[in-house]
Amino acid sequence: MKALIFSDNYDMAKQIMGRAMQDSQFTLMTTESTEDLLYFGAEKVIFLKGQPVYSCIGETLISEFKKGYDFILISSTTIGRDVAAYVSSKLNLDYIPEVFNYRFDGNKLITKRFSLGGKVVLEEESDAKILTVTPGVGEGIKSERKSLSEELKIPDGPIKVLAINPKQSQGVDIEKAEVIVSVGRGLGKKEGLALIEQLAKKVKGEIAGSRPVCLDYHWLSEERQVGYSGKKVRPKLYIAIGISGQIQHIAGMRDSKTVIAINKDKNAPIFQECDLGLVADLYKAVPKLIEML
Amino acid sequence: MPYNIIVLIKQIPDLELIKINKDTGAPILEGVPYRFENLSKNAVEAAVRLKEKYGGKVTAVMFGNEKGTQVMKEAYAMGVDDGYIITGYTESNPRFTARVLANKIKQIPHDIIILGNQSADSMSGMLASFLATQLNYPLLSNALKIEINDKTAIASEGAEKFVADETAPLPCVISVTQETNEPRFPPVMMIMKAGQKKINIEPLNLPVESYSKVLSKMAPKSERKRIIFEDMDKGLPEIVKVIKEVVK
Repeated sequence: MKALIFSDNYDMAKQIMGRAMQDSQFTLMTTESTEDLLYFGAEKVIFLKGQPVYSCIGETLISEFKKGYDFILISSTTIGRDVAAYVSSKLNLDYIPEVFNYRFDGNKLITKRFSLGGKVVLEEESDAKILTVTPGVGEGIKSERKSLSEELKIPDGPIKVLAINPKQSQGVDIEKAEVIVSVGRGLGKKEGLALIEQLAKKVKGEIAGSRPVCLDYHWLSEERQVGYSGKKVRPKLYIAIGISGQIQHIAGMRDSKTVIAINKDKNAPIFQECDLGLVADLYKAVPKLIEML
Repeated sequence: MPYNIIVLIKQIPDLELIKINKDTGAPILEGVPYRFENLSKNAVEAAVRLKEKYGGKVTAVMFGNEKGTQVMKEAYAMGVDDGYIITGYTESNPRFTARVLANKIKQIPHDIIILGNQSADSMSGMLASFLATQLNYPLLSNALKIEINDKTAIASEGAEKFVADETAPLPCVISVTQETNEPRFPPVMMIMKAGQKKINIEPLNLPVESYSKVLSKMAPKSERKRIIFEDMDKGLPEIVKVIKEVVK
């Protein structure tokens, strides 16, 4: 099998290469410029230069694909998804989106992805040649051998990029955190965050939040939102405080190693998705917990 | 200058109300009501705001089923002028959905097509690009801000790490995100009027395309221990123990 990989994200590029290494030879095309990507087992790494416009990146992928590849793996990012649909349309090749696991069975491809908002896993058999894959599909493995390196200019198209500004970030990446203290609507007020910050400090964790906390109330920035529509996290320890545990949220933290939940509603669904749960008012339980740590 | 705006909307089953059959792990979809898909609301809001700013008309198109009339009425209440439901939707297949929608779009005058960037059920996030590619229009993706200047759309695309200000000639497709706007709650008068407005319902006139064979569709098994304490004095020491095992 020969795979063509596209990713505009360094971490995901490594993960996808780690997965592809198991059963394929592969080329990486990327808009990232880190030289380090030459040491993850690719035959060739093509560094794309120029404006990151999906259709123009798609054209470079199509030219490369025509040199002889069996399938295309694309990281599920905003640009990746646009590129994937563009390439699928232009090449008239079948696709499967949001794949977190795949394998080959003879000529067929067997894929797994979530459906119904993360409630169920869809296992499918298809002739798809283009996959968008989600974080965690594999793990990057360092290789002794250095990949061939090429640079390629992304052609121009009808969309003009006037300016690119890096996102104002607080520099937090909850996807990499080992311990996460996450809060939900049950916090009740923004001022409650001070208490959560104390706990996070004690457990050396990052603060995250549910969709309402980040998007509706803006108590936390959007980059801290855990959920199906937010970040998918996989820490060693996930402490859910005042989070009811709607499927939207569970789908973003399901891969956490250990989950602790504190919620005053004993019927909250989060208690079905935790290892250790405490039915209590968080404003009574958390100060005590901080004291005991 | 007024514009003809098409907004694409979607209905989805109310995900929180889907129960799982404990014996088989299969989702129980019977009786689950449909609701307005989250990002479709952001799309309607964006379309209506453009109409308020520049003038013009907003037409909503949905590929769904007869039950979609409720969602279409909500869209009317939010400020949509005219609506089409194409019935016969069976499964998530963005490439096919794009074909169905593109056929309808070609029959309606349009300058701008707006839709959500991902929908809350499958999250494929591919419809916008499929549609743009099939229509041969440029796509301004994940637009946080949208402005129209004569025959040009200007949008800032919110990617994961950067925001890019981009322009494209009209007609174009624009996808919006959950951060683009906050959908306003429609006034009572608009809700009442919406109930009386005509909804155009048309059957699908293409054979349904399927792109995969489903081998299984089941809830993932949760291996959590689910040890629950209702007494804080007993629960907290256990929590401390678990935390200390991880945080050394």
